[in-house]
This record gives sequence, C-alpha cells and structure tokens, in this order.
Amino acid sequence: MKRMITLQVNGDTCEVAVEPWHTLLDVLRDQLRLTGTKKSCGIGTCGVCTVIMDGLAILSCLKLAIESQGHDITTIEGLGSADELDPVQQSFIEHGAIQCGFCTPGVIMSARALLDKNPQPSDEDVREALSGTFCRCTGHIKTIEAVKHAAEKQAGAGGTSDGQ
Amino acid sequence: MARKSNPYSVIGRRQPKLDAPLKATGRSVFSDDVYLPGMLHGKILRSTIPRGKILNIDTSQAMRLPGVKAVITHKDSGGIMAGPDQQVLCDDQVCYVGDEVAAVAAIDEDTAIEAAELIKVEYEPMQAVLTIEEAVAKGAPVLHQYFEDNYADEKDLKFGDTEKTFDESDHIRTDEFTINPTHNCFAELHLALVDYSMPDKLTIWTPNQTAILIQQSMATSLGISQSKVRVCSLNTGGAFSGRGTVRPHHLIAALLSRKAARPVKIMADADEEFIICRSGGRDKIVLKTGVKNDGTLKVIEADFMHDCGAYVETQFIIMTIVSANLQMLFKLEAMRYRGRLVYTNNAPCFFHHGGGIVPAQFALGQHLHCVAHDLGIDPVDFYLHNAVGKGHTTLSKTYYASCGLKECIQKTAKKSGWKKKYGKLQPYRGIGIGCGVMSSGGKGMFQHDTSAAFLKIDEDGRLSLFTGLPDMGQGSHTTMAMIAAETLGISAEDITVVSGDTDIAPFDVGAFSQRGTFTTGNAVRAACRDAKKQLEKTASQKLDVKPSLLVFKDNKVYPRGFPEKAISFEDIVFDTLHSQEGRYVMGRGFYNSPTQKPALAYSFGAQIAEVEVDPETGIVRLLRMTVAHDVGRAINPLAVEGQMDGQVFSGMGQTLFEERLVENGQVLNPSMAGYKNPRPFEVPEIEHIIVETIDPYGPYGAKEVGEGPIACVPHAVANAVSSAVGYCFRELPLTPERVLEAIRKKNRQQ
Repeated sequence: MKRMITLQVNGDTCEVAVEPWHTLLDVLRDQLRLTGTKKSCGIGTCGVCTVIMDGLAILSCLKLAIESQGHDITTIEGLGSADELDPVQQSFIEHGAIQCGFCTPGVIMSARALLDKNPQPSDEDVREALSGTFCRCTGHIKTIEAVKHAAEKQAGAGGTSDGQ
Repeated sequence: MARKSNPYSVIGRRQPKLDAPLKATGRSVFSDDVYLPGMLHGKILRSTIPRGKILNIDTSQAMRLPGVKAVITHKDSGGIMAGPDQQVLCDDQVCYVGDEVAAVAAIDEDTAIEAAELIKVEYEPMQAVLTIEEAVAKGAPVLHQYFEDNYADEKDLKFGDTEKTFDESDHIRTDEFTINPTHNCFAELHLALVDYSMPDKLTIWTPNQTAILIQQSMATSLGISQSKVRVCSLNTGGAFSGRGTVRPHHLIAALLSRKAARPVKIMADADEEFIICRSGGRDKIVLKTGVKNDGTLKVIEADFMHDCGAYVETQFIIMTIVSANLQMLFKLEAMRYRGRLVYTNNAPCFFHHGGGIVPAQFALGQHLHCVAHDLGIDPVDFYLHNAVGKGHTTLSKTYYASCGLKECIQKTAKKSGWKKKYGKLQPYRGIGIGCGVMSSGGKGMFQHDTSAAFLKIDEDGRLSLFTGLPDMGQGSHTTMAMIAAETLGISAEDITVVSGDTDIAPFDVGAFSQRGTFTTGNAVRAACRDAKKQLEKTASQKLDVKPSLLVFKDNKVYPRGFPEKAISFEDIVFDTLHSQEGRYVMGRGFYNSPTQKPALAYSFGAQIAEVEVDPETGIVRLLRMTVAHDVGRAINPLAVEGQMDGQVFSGMGQTLFEERLVENGQVLNPSMAGYKNPRPFEVPEIEHIIVETIDPYGPYGAKEVGEGPIACVPHAVANAVSSAVGYCFRELPLTPERVLEAIRKKNRQQ
C-alpha cells in the first residue's frame, strides 16, 4: 500500500507516493528523475549512490524513502550554482579525476561531506572518506589528489559556511 | 617528468576531459538514466543447477499475475542464438548455474521479480563438469553436441627449432601456474533497454565498447538487416575489455519488447552481475625456458589452458594474447605454444581487464624471475640484455617501427633506485620489475580494422566531429578533439564530438585492441585534412600564397613566416560558404592500417613495484609503483597518467586481492563486499614516466596506453612479493593466505 511522504531534496519540498520498501535511491531516480545519483550494486557495497543527508554521506540504496522524511537531502544536482561549480567538482575536472564518470557523483558527494565537516583533512582523512566508494577507472589516485586540492582551494577562499 | 620539446599547440597539453563538467555535475546520461514512455521492466529466470535436462516449464501462474505484459521461454526464441553454441533461452538443457531459462516483462521491477518467481521449472540434474581437469579427463561427459570432446578451441604455434635450442641451452627451467577466476567490477552493471515496439526498427541503449559489433550481432541473431538495429551507446560505466559482444540479456529484452510491443529495460542485480559479466576464467599455464649461462634467452615452450565455462565467445583472442606476451617482449630463437579453451559447467568467462594479459604476465614474470635467480643475474640486467628494440622482427614476423622498451626499463630502474634496493632491502620488503608489450590496433576480428570519421564546420568556425568510437572513460573523445584541433589549428574546446548512435555516427570497429587513438585518430586526422584542403583554397586566394605555404594555428591562418598577415579561422570558414561556390565545409576520412598483422604499432612498458609483507598475516602492502610507458607520443599527458593509474589499480587488484570463488558452479562471493578489491588505503604512490618514441604510423606519433600498462603490473608486483619472501608463487592472486603459506614453506625449508 503506497503512502504519501514529503522529502526535502536540494532545497525543494517534494511530495511522492512510495511503497514501504522503496529506497531513497528509487525515489530520487524513478520519481524525482534526479538521475545524477546512480544505481549500481543496490546492496551498500559500492558507494555509487552516495548522497548527503543532514551533513553525512549516506548510501541512498540502504535508506528507505519513508525514513528519509524530515531530513535535509543533497544530491549531486544540488552542488554548486548555475554560475559556479562546487570546488570539489571543479577540482575533479582539473585533476583528471573523472574517467567513465559513473561513480563520480558518489565520490564527489563523499568528498563534499568530508570537507563540510573537516575543511583541512589529512591524507588519511581523505582516504578514509573515500573508502566507501569504489572507482575502477581512476584507481582513486587522482580522486585523492583532487579532494586535497579542493580543500586547499576552499581554505584559500575562506572555507565553507558549514565548516567547523 | 622530462618531456621532449613539443612542436604542437594542442597535442601534448594536459587537457581536462571535455565531458568532465557534465560528469562532475551528474548531467551525463547513462543507459539506466533513459526512461521511455510505456517502458516495462524485465526479469530473467535462471537455472539453479549447473547441468541438467529441462523436463517442463510452467508459466501459467506468472502470466496470470496482474501487471505482467509478456512471458517468454524457448518456444518464443527457438532458433535464435546468442553465441556460436548458445541459444537465447535454453530449450531442453541447462549448462551452468545462471543459464537463461525464461523471462518476463511487467509494469514495474517488483512485479517482474514476483512473476519470474512464479515460473515453475522441472529439472533432471546431470553430472556436471566443474574443473579443467575433469573436463579433459578420459570418459568425461561431452558438454556440447557440436564437439567430440570438451575443447572449445585450440591454437598451436611453432617458431624455430625448439628441440635444438633446448639442447643448446645451458639451463632449462619448468614452472606450472594456476590463475583463479576474477570479476570485472564495472561500476555500471549490465543493462539493456530495448525498444522493439514496432517491427521495422529496434533501438537499444546499452553500455558497450563497440556499437558496430552489438548492432551486427543483434541483427544477425534476430535475422533482420543491420540498419534496422540502432545502437545508442551514451556513456559507459567501465568496459575493461568486457563489453564487446551481445549477450542473452540484450536479445531477451528485444524479444520481450517485441512481444509486449513496449520498450523493456533489463538490469542485472548484484548477484546476476557476477554471472552475466563473463570475466576471467581459471587458467593453467606451464612454461619451460632454455637460457644460456650469460642470461641470453633462447627458447620458451608454453602450454595454456583456459576454463571458458559453459559457452564460448571470441576467447580465441585470449589464446593469441597469451602467445604474443610470451614471444614479443624478448629476443628468442625459438618458441612453441599450445593454447586450449576448455568447456565446463561454470558460468561462461570472457575477458577481464587485459584479457589473458594478467595471467600470462604473472606466469611469465614469476618464471623469468626464477630463471634470473637461478643464474644469479639481476632481473633488470637480465631484461635489458634480452629486450627487443626498434627495428626488431619477432618470431611471429612482427616488425617494430618504434620501441622504447629499453628506455622504459632504464628509466624505471633509475627513478626507483633499483641498484640501491635490489637484494639489499630489510626482511619482508621487496622490489620487482615487470615489462610489457601491447599492439595498437585489432586486425583479426574482420579482414579490415577500419575507423571512419566525418566532420562539419559551421559559420562560426566551430566544428562537429562524428565518430563511432565509444568513450568509456578513457577520454577518447577528448583525444579525437585534440587531434582534430591540432590538424586544423583550432582549440579542442571549439569541437563537439558527436557519437553513440549508429544512425548518425560512421563505421568504427570500436574501442578495443587499443585501436582508438591509433586507428580512429588516423581517421580523424584524414577527415580534418580533407576539410583543410577545402579551406586552403579560400585562404590561398585571400592571402595570395600557395596552399603548401599556409599555416593553420591558434584559430588563425597565415602564410609561413608572416603571422601578422593572419586571417581568423572563422573568417576563412565564413568566406568559403559566402562565396560564389557557396561551399559548406565537410571533411571525411577513414583509416585501415596497411598491414596483414594485428597492428602496425606496438607500445612497451616497464614498471617497478616496491612492497612490504606482514609476516604475521601475509598481507602485502604495495608501497610504490614506478611506471614507464612508451606511448609513441602523449596526445594528452593528463589522460595518459589516468590510464596508468587505473591499470596499476586493476592490475594490483588482480595480483593481490581479486578472486571469484566458485563451488559446484555457484559464485560464493557475488558482491563487492565478498569479492575483495583495493580501496583508497591500498593504492600506492605512483611515479609516472612517459616515454615518447614518435611512431612513424601513429597520428602525431601516438600509440596506445589503454591496456599496455596493465601488462607490467602483475609481473612487477608478484616479483616484488617473491623478492620479499624468497618464494616463487605459482597461484594467483597472492592473497594473505597464499603469502602466509609461502612464508611458512620457506621457513620450513631453512
């Protein structure tokens, strides 16, 4: 039996009808057509579907839609603005940290959540934050470099409003 | 990183991928992002046993479930083949756990799953054959009616007099190796969305690395003409040699769509992915080498067996790749090779990243490491002594017009500090070298290896480049834009690459056999030269100079030596159209390398790995990789480094972690949690060394970098672990269990 729920996604309020077993990922993609968040394993092992919920990087394939009510959700479409990309996005582009691009939204969201909590992460912090994601093409070498560079650039620009 | 002087404006720049902003913002469209009106979801019912007869299939309950729009079995697909030995849906027999038996299409995924579970299949189990040894044993059940035994294919090669050269050798060594099954781990799982609602056109969206082969195979299997099949490639979430063929799920989606007269999407779930993927199968390799006391290699004899599972595709290429790896890297006087593909009742295998390369290079590396050790020669000296060079012709009569192998070995040795480290490191630290060779081009699939390209230039001087070459993330579309930009003297950002639709793009064999940069690059260059000739006519009239004296550079055209007389590229294009002739500039070109061999150009590499082994746990930590690759010329050094990184990652994964565990035909670890892969904490420091040998046939001298570097990784990493523990490994991957066992064996010997 479907029920109506209200989700806060990228600053918008969205009403959707969901089955109790529908995941946040299902709703983001199939109903809200926010297809930037990709579906891969569907069982929480690859990190491709990572989004930010209340400041934390979470796996949207393991979060039920009904328990996502009342939380602030950001997807890859919610980063940056019409005029300017998020520093993490910009850094990924410049450092060659994107190849096939399928895992990229999940990796970028993991990195964004890290920098929001910890604007000056160590090498170990970056590796830990990206450990939940899997990137076969880049082997994470240039993604790690890109996150560190984004942190430096962000620090130079005065940090983020969400920073500690 | 030292680079030779670069005479070009665009080639050689660290160019971020042109499509990276779309990918960074989630705007890039992949096949699963396509939602069509009226789209249904398909689900395949798969065999639960490795071998058996199908006695009955009852679909009545599934058909009655509300929301179900089509159910198909072999009665609907009779006679349609998914491969040379495989029917789309099994008729009277199943050959592996996961074999396709029936399928449904329903209004949503939940209903499709429920309906598939309502189909009742009655089996009579038969004796299954699950290992190479069982399959080749006398009296083994013959698995396919088309054959007299379980050998699906074989290849015998003999160059020179092997018996004589073994007799002349001072030292002969034989080793036997086993390589365990693997999985490709694509980020984007297998998926087919097919719209065959109307009988006159079939459109398919599916991740792939060759639209043309998908188109041709779909058309052939379904008995329709090729132009009735439209393949939309969009973006592809990883290919790694494994997305080049039509599989049952493509055809099943088509049959369901035709029956329901609505589009049907089938996407694998995590368990199915390990079945559909068809990655690396189990291999057995026996190597025997004859060598002189001074370290001169004389002869290699090899016996290779590959468990290809229940069905074959084009794995004859694996046999070729293994033989090539053994005789194209070092100078030899003779070589004998026997390769065999063996049918079993395991899930069908195909190519893991570097199909056949990783198994061959692991075995060759460990074997030669031991040969060098037996002779008391430093491996770097041993490889330099035997390395092929420019102008060398191999035993298989392949000629090297450019070759940077020795330079790669010397540079990695110097950069890594090899002489200070080899044999001098503290206990359980090791250093190892690996070398590799790779072709740029893939003759053998067809008589030709053609890529075509065309382009149009609009009034504002911007160019649209049409290519059938897919970009699976390797950055080929950016590379093509850079080659076009350099040839016409404009910038890469002025170019839109149009691809991914067989109704629009020209013919291209596809992105495999490392043919993209070399073959399609040459086609793009030819198309640009065709367009340039048309522009030269206008420019030479306006500047009153012979066409041969014109320079196209930095979006300008000027007589050589007179940059102050420059006219903008845009004006030349505009004037060509707004003339009495009214010429609209369109260029076209194609390239098929003029050789009977698989390729005209070959790239070479060397890598040095440094590892630390924990003697308590057997865990290997890869600390550092020094990676050199002879790419001919680096069109885009940023992308070249990216290719090196990805292949180190994949190669170290296959060497140290990755093993698809199979028991009674069942995959025991079908998830990224159970199937171990390196993650960010495991990736090493990487030093990139780009070696440029400027190949005479490559576009601007370029060769490949798409698969060459991975050849060195298992070779180097396994040799480093061997050095660390003083033991020759004979089974891949080098998991902690195997490394610990090696340490214990070694300690018992002492």
